[in-house]
Amino acid sequence: MTAARREWNRFWFAPGAAATLGMCRLLFFGMLCVWMLPHDFSAWGSYSPVFWMPIRLFDVARVPPPSTDSLILMQTVWKTALVLSALGLFTQPAMLIAAALGLYLLGLPHNFGQTQHFDTLVVFALAALALSRAGDAWSLDVLLNPGRPREPEQSGEYTWPIRFVWVAMALIFFAAGISKLRHSGLDWIFSDSFALMLVRQQYHISDGEPLTSWGIAIAAHPWLSHAMAASAVSVETLFPLALFSRRARRVVVPAGLMFLVGIRVLMGPTFEQFMMCYVFWVPWERVTAIVRDHAHVDLRRRLARGDADRLFTTADEPH
Amino acid sequence: VAPARRVFLNAVFLALILGSAYDIVTDREHWPFSQYPMFSVAWHSPTFTWLRLFGVTADGREFPLVSNQYIAPFDDSRLPKALKRIMDGPDGPARVRTAVGECLARYDALRADRMHDGPPIVAMRLYELEWTIDPSAANIDIPDRRRLITEVDQP
Repeated sequence: MTAARREWNRFWFAPGAAATLGMCRLLFFGMLCVWMLPHDFSAWGSYSPVFWMPIRLFDVARVPPPSTDSLILMQTVWKTALVLSALGLFTQPAMLIAAALGLYLLGLPHNFGQTQHFDTLVVFALAALALSRAGDAWSLDVLLNPGRPREPEQSGEYTWPIRFVWVAMALIFFAAGISKLRHSGLDWIFSDSFALMLVRQQYHISDGEPLTSWGIAIAAHPWLSHAMAASAVSVETLFPLALFSRRARRVVVPAGLMFLVGIRVLMGPTFEQFMMCYVFWVPWERVTAIVRDHAHVDLRRRLARGDADRLFTTADEPH
Repeated sequence: VAPARRVFLNAVFLALILGSAYDIVTDREHWPFSQYPMFSVAWHSPTFTWLRLFGVTADGREFPLVSNQYIAPFDDSRLPKALKRIMDGPDGPARVRTAVGECLARYDALRADRMHDGPPIVAMRLYELEWTIDPSAANIDIPDRRRLITEVDQP
């Protein structure tokens, strides 16, 4: 029991660098801004209650159908909060607002007849960041406040939000894999089901059009569609291994990303928001260290070549 | 991490894990938790049916609304499923007529805002289409069968 508790604590609270979480925050909110800025939620307010089929969360909370005006206001505040969260300005309140309004705005479309699954991970990531200290690095709050340390000490506070997104992503993949095995068993892999789905998706029935018609070519080769179906179920059900094994992580995490890209390219469903959460798998402090090292090496090489004059002269100085 | 905060955070972690586990085990959905059932049922039928809206121009020409830009913020997946649920619910025929009328108004509003370049339409029709899945998907525009569910004219 003590060993399990130790492992649990180590997993969530191992000391981590503020820079990694800060970079995750910057990139995640930055990409979400770019994705969401052109997105207009206010149109949902133009429909009558005939379309309103509330999901459980909205039903239990007795959230009424929205009005266009309230949606315009909410999305304006939300998008502003996303921008501020990305920049790291007033980070803590901005991330709290981004999470609270994100839960409402991202959940809203699911009350109109169909629950889609592209954004659940984003909701969990927003919640984790709202409770985190992700503004301690790579933020304007730090730059503008001389009293705040530029490089805070490593802490578990910078680890758990990242691990939270990992666990949420692993649970999502795992659930999808289990769902297939529960409802169809190995039939999902070894029958012509996947080939039929690949072709059926070409008939304009998805939220996004498949980016290519390659699904038709794949469906024409039963061995290929069986192999793809097998790899899909394998990646999904085995994804939780990425939480426990560094070796498995190197295989399963990129495979999961390729799987999502494959769905978008071959079948249409738009998993772009889900893919944004992949920034949480990148050890940014190591990436920045490598980039910094390369920059230093490059500078030393140039100095050794005698480029120093050119490096340090300005445009106004005579050459 | 301070002890009190650690307790709070552990409760958050457990909520994520137990909430997800509950939906996986019970095969139910409580968004944002889910059992993620998409594409989980093996498909063996060579045919399938789908609801689709068609615009009708003044000269009587029909065209399918197969692009999300005509029906935004709905999409080609959510709208047919929403209409199917409305159809199958209480007072289905009357309610689906109302729903199609709203889709017609939305088409016009999007057109007025230059969000799509579709032609002006005088009516909107909802059909149930049935296809035999063609290995090369060559019959996308030629369903085997179509059944008119409802038609709504411009007010």
